Amino acid sequence: MPDSMHNEVKPPEEQGHLSGQNAAPQQPEASAAAYGPHARRNAAVIIVVVVAVAAMLIGGQYLAHKGERSGSITAGGPKPGTAAPNFALQSLDGKTVHLSDFRGKAVLLNFWATWCTPCRLEMPWFVELEKQYGPQGLQVVGVAMDDAGPDKIAKFAKEMGVNYPVLLGKESVGDEYGGLEYLPTSFYLDRDGKVVQRVFGLRSRSDIEDWVKEALSKGSSVAEKRQ
Amino acid sequence: MRRVAEAILVAALMSVVALAQAGGPSVEMAPAGITPIMRGEPSMVELNFRVKQGFHINSNHPNSAYLIPTALKLDAPTDIAIGKIDYPQGRNLSFAFAPDEKLNVYSGDFAVKVTVHPLHTAMPGKYNVRGQLRYQACDDRACYPPRNLPVRFEVQVKKTAPHTRPNRQSPHVHS
Repeated sequence: MPDSMHNEVKPPEEQGHLSGQNAAPQQPEASAAAYGPHARRNAAVIIVVVVAVAAMLIGGQYLAHKGERSGSITAGGPKPGTAAPNFALQSLDGKTVHLSDFRGKAVLLNFWATWCTPCRLEMPWFVELEKQYGPQGLQVVGVAMDDAGPDKIAKFAKEMGVNYPVLLGKESVGDEYGGLEYLPTSFYLDRDGKVVQRVFGLRSRSDIEDWVKEALSKGSSVAEKRQ
Repeated sequence: MRRVAEAILVAALMSVVALAQAGGPSVEMAPAGITPIMRGEPSMVELNFRVKQGFHINSNHPNSAYLIPTALKLDAPTDIAIGKIDYPQGRNLSFAFAPDEKLNVYSGDFAVKVTVHPLHTAMPGKYNVRGQLRYQACDDRACYPPRNLPVRFEVQVKKTAPHTRPNRQSPHVHS
């Protein structure tokens, strides 16, 4: 049945009596009231509303343009210096892995997806860094935030030559890490599980290596070794 | 007066929120007018979309099976059949994050053509067709989770023009 058949005829009170009112001759009392206290209050309300609306619109435009101009990606999640939220996620081989399992190691926690092309560029770098810094205590952990099933994720990881654990992400974990509105998103954790750096979007390999070194150099176990 | 003022303030606040969120990727659909179509005959409806500057989305045929294609899904009302959906060809572009790889993408404006076929049984009148455009956007540094853009357009079904019969005089009638 076409939508037009559902059209309702509006009752007369909704069709607008205003035209009739406008047509009526203005009474002398009405013109006097136009300058009364009610009219002044109404005018003040209109001015306040107009100013507030203008301020909000300008403010909104500013916020939007600021984000575009800076090109910076900002998001939430645990801040540097705070403990990274623990989680329990399934690995591709069906084991339950907790973030706390890696305590004592510096962790590069990388959230990615099979549909994310910038993520794919980073993965060979992570493979190299895992080989290079693994003996010093680095553990790269990949978390796939992907609707694709484990088979597709495993196939992708194999194609990329991934040599570190890949876990199947959950929305609840994503929420704890700031919602993960952008991928790739990586958190660099020191040996105590505290966030050293959080990075949204693709960065250079040298930046990534610097953050890995920083994560390796921090944490109580490093301090104990030094003593 | 007070209610009007409150309504204006609420509307303005919503506009501010929308503007403040405008930093993310987005695809917008241009308002589609009412397309007149003839009952029983397939017609083409063109839907125009715009990808926000600085972003791109995968085309309907991206170059990798891992990428999420842009796809339109429509729910047609009874008596209206949705036929072929024609997607434009994407552009093969390289990006800073994958300079050696060409991705087939849409950016800027693009149009999707939908074949709409009102059945012979369709009553003349306006019909709403609703659905969603699924897309996955990236910029030059990051990718964003897949999103669904609500899509809506109207068609006006009209009766087919009456078939004109040749005005033949009966051979049995003689003046």
